[in-house]
Amino acid sequence: MPIIDVLPFRACYDCGRNETILAGALRAGRFLRYGCRHGGCGTCRVLLVDGEVEQAGSSFALPRADRADGWILACASAPAGDCVIDVSPGPDGMALTEEEFLAGDAAGTYVTEVAEITRLTRDVRGLRLRLLDPGSIRFTAAQFVTVEVPGTAATRAFSMASPPSESGSIDLVVRVLPGGAFSAALDERLALGDRLRVSGPFGQLKVRLSHRPIIMIAGGSGLAPIESMAADLADRRNTRPVTVFFAVRTAADLFHLERLEAIRARMPGLEIVPVLSEPGLGWAGETGLVTDAVDRRLPRLSGYDAYLCGPPAMIDAAVELVTRRGVRPRNVHFDAFVRTG
Amino acid sequence: MARSLETVHAKAKSYDWPFTVGDQRPKFPTQYTIPPTGRDPFRMLIRDYVKMEAEKDDRTHGFLDGVLRMGTAGEVQPRFMECMKLTLPGLTFAEFAAVAATGGIISSVQNQELRQGYHAQMLDEIRHTQLEMTLRDYYVRPWCDPAGFDISQKALHQHPGGLVSIGLFQNFNTGDPVDCIVNLNVCVETAFTNILLVAAPQIAVANGEHAMATTFLSIQSDEARHMANGYGSLMAVLQDENNVPALNRALERHFWHSHKALDGLVGWQSEYGATVRPWSYYDQWQEWVVDDFVGGYIDRLTEFGVQPPRRLAQADEDVRWSHHTLAQAFAAMWPLNFWRSDAMGPADFEWFENHYPGWHDAYGGFWDTYRQLAHPSSGRLILAELSGLPPFCQVCQLPCVMPRPDRNEFRLVEWQGVKYATCSEGCEWIFRTWPVAHAGRRQFWARYHGWDLADVIEDLGYVRPDGKTLIGQPALDLDRLWTIDDIRAIGFEVKDPLA
Repeated sequence: MPIIDVLPFRACYDCGRNETILAGALRAGRFLRYGCRHGGCGTCRVLLVDGEVEQAGSSFALPRADRADGWILACASAPAGDCVIDVSPGPDGMALTEEEFLAGDAAGTYVTEVAEITRLTRDVRGLRLRLLDPGSIRFTAAQFVTVEVPGTAATRAFSMASPPSESGSIDLVVRVLPGGAFSAALDERLALGDRLRVSGPFGQLKVRLSHRPIIMIAGGSGLAPIESMAADLADRRNTRPVTVFFAVRTAADLFHLERLEAIRARMPGLEIVPVLSEPGLGWAGETGLVTDAVDRRLPRLSGYDAYLCGPPAMIDAAVELVTRRGVRPRNVHFDAFVRTG
Repeated sequence: MARSLETVHAKAKSYDWPFTVGDQRPKFPTQYTIPPTGRDPFRMLIRDYVKMEAEKDDRTHGFLDGVLRMGTAGEVQPRFMECMKLTLPGLTFAEFAAVAATGGIISSVQNQELRQGYHAQMLDEIRHTQLEMTLRDYYVRPWCDPAGFDISQKALHQHPGGLVSIGLFQNFNTGDPVDCIVNLNVCVETAFTNILLVAAPQIAVANGEHAMATTFLSIQSDEARHMANGYGSLMAVLQDENNVPALNRALERHFWHSHKALDGLVGWQSEYGATVRPWSYYDQWQEWVVDDFVGGYIDRLTEFGVQPPRRLAQADEDVRWSHHTLAQAFAAMWPLNFWRSDAMGPADFEWFENHYPGWHDAYGGFWDTYRQLAHPSSGRLILAELSGLPPFCQVCQLPCVMPRPDRNEFRLVEWQGVKYATCSEGCEWIFRTWPVAHAGRRQFWARYHGWDLADVIEDLGYVRPDGKTLIGQPALDLDRLWTIDDIRAIGFEVKDPLA
C-alpha cells in the first residue's frame, strides 16, 4: 500500500492504489480539506512534493499552470506509489494544522427535520432544519452544508444564516429558481416534520482574526453567510466596526432585516446598509449598484478586511472596487454563489 | 520517516530518567503546569538532522567563498552595509540568548518530547551564531569601510540602539521558562522575525548584497522547527486551563515588546538601509504579523482561551511611524554610532511619502537640516539643535519620542522612589507588572551625564585607528570625515533628561 507522507508535520497514512489521496486520508481517520469531492471546487488542492499520482477523476478546478507547478486535487488523484504532499499555509496552500489533520473529518452526515419554512420574499425562502441525528453540528460561521433533494440522489449547497452558537438547528436561505429541483420540492412537497439528509460543514470562508474594521457585501441570498458571520462576531463580543451592505433589486426583496437589527442591538459597531438597484417611491436609502453605494459611503477602505458573498458578477465588481479603494488583496475574502435550483 | 525509524525514534525518547546527581533545579521556576508527555515537535532522527544541517552549512560557506574569489562582494549599496553593523550583532546576540534559553527550558520542562525539540533548537542556535560570525568575518574583508564591524559585538552593548535588541532578547532566558518560550518561539520566531529572515533578504539582494540573503535564508530554514517547538509547548500548556490567564499575560507582554523593538530596528534596516525598496515595512507587517500570526496562528488557539494581543490596533498605528522616528533618532546621534549614517535625499523623500502619506510633514524638515549640517565645515551638530535629549524607555529602550515626535506617548513611572521613563501605555503596563525585570538597566544618558560628547566617543572607543577620525559619520559622500577634534570644538555636553 502506498504511504502518503504529509508535510509540514510529517504524518503518514496508508492509501490504496485504487483510492484517491483524499479518500485514503478520510478512511484512515485523518482529514484533508474538501468540498465537492469531484474536482469542481478546488478545496482539496495540495502540493505534490514527491511521488507520482494517477488521474482518478475530474480536475476541473485546477488550472493547467498549477498542475505544471505540482498542484493536485486530492479528490481526483490516486497514488502510483509512496507520495509526499504538502498542506502548509500559503497563498494557495491548504493551511491545515497537524491537529486538524489528526482529528479526522469533522464533516458528517446529519438527519434533520424541517422545522420551519418561511416565505421571505417572492423568490427567497427561509428553511430551518432541526438536527436529529446527531443532535447538533459544529461549524464555522460562513460555512455551508449540502442538502439532499428529496426523492433524488442530488444535493444542493446552502450556507448557514444562523451562527455556530445555535448548533441544534440550522437556518438556510434558499433562492427559488423556476424549474429547480430543490425549489420545486421546497414550494410544493416539503412539509414541517419531513426528514432531510444534510452533509457538512464545508467551505473555508470565515472571519479572519485581526484588529481591522470589516466591510461585508451581500447580494441576495448571499446574505446568509454574512448574517452568520455578523451574528458570530456579536457572540464573540466583537468591537471591530462592521459595515454590511445588502444589495437586492427592490424593497420587497429585502429580508432578515429584523434579524440584522437584533444583531446590531448586541454589537453597536454594526452598520447595516440596504441597497436597492430598483428603488420604488418612498425609499430613502442607498440606491444603484452596490459598488456605487460602497463608494459613496466608504471611499477609503485602506486597512479594512472585506467579505463578499453573492452572484459572481457582483463579486467580480466588488473585488475590483474594494482593492482599488485600499483593501489589500490578501484581505479580500469571498464566496461566489452559483445559481442552482 | 519510514515506520521502522519512527519506532527507533520513539524508543530513543523513552530512555528518560530522573537525575540522581547534581542539582537539577532550574534557575527560574515555572508557574505553569506542564504535562509529562506530549507530541514530538522535532520528528527527525538526529543522524538525518545532522546530515541536513551540514549540507546547509556547506552551501552557505561555499557561497561566501565563491563571492570573495569572484571579487563581487563589494558591489553593495553602502547604506545597507552600514546599517548591518548594528543589525548583525543584534541578531547574533539573539542567537546567544536563545542558546541559553533552550538550556533553561530543557532543565525546567519534565517532558521528553519538548526536551528533544529544544535540544535540537540549541544546536540550531549555535549553528546560527557561527554563521553570523562567519558573515561578519566575511564583511570585514571585502567591504571598503570595515570600521564598526570589527567591534560590533562589544559596541552593541554600549549603544542605545544595541540595548533595544539586548533588552528584548534577554527575555529569551530570563524569567519563567514558559514565558521565555512565548517570547522566543512564539512572538519573536513565529510572529516578527519572518520579516527579517525571509523578507529582508529581498531588500539585501535588491541592494546588491547576496551574502546576507544566503546566510539568513539558511538560518530561516531552521525556524519552522522552532515555531513547531513553540506551538507544541503552547498546546502542552493549554491542556491545563489554569495556565491560560498567565499565558495570555505573557503573550500580551512579549508581543508588545517584540513589536516595539523589532518593528523599529527591522523597519530601519529595511527602509533606511536601502536605496532600492521592493516593499514597505508596513505592508510586510500586515502580512506576516497580522494575517499570518494573529489571523492564522493565534486564531487557531482562541478556542483554547488564547486571546489576540489587546494592543494590536495600537501596534498597527505605531508601525506606520516608529522606524522613521528611530531612523531620525539614530541620525541625530550619529557621532555615537559605530556605523556611518546617510542623509535621506529627494528620491527617498518621494518613496517615503508615497508609502507613508504624511511622512514629509513629519520628517522632511529634519532630513533637510540634517543634510545641511552633515559636512564638518558646518561646525554644528544636529544633536545640539534639539531642545533636549529624549530619555530612553526603561522597557523597550527606544527613545521616548514614539511613535512620532509630535505624537509621542512618553510617560514617567515611579517605582521604589525612582522615576523611570516609558515610551507608551504598553511599555508602562509591562514595567508596572514586571518592575524587577526592567528597573535594573542603567540608561545611556545617565551614564554620561555631564560629559563632553568627545569624551563619550573616546570612552566608547568609536574612533578609527588614526586616533582622530570618528567611526560614525553623518553622510556617505563626505570629502572630509569628522574627527574627534571637530566634536570637541563644538563643546556639546550630555545632559540626562531624567537627572
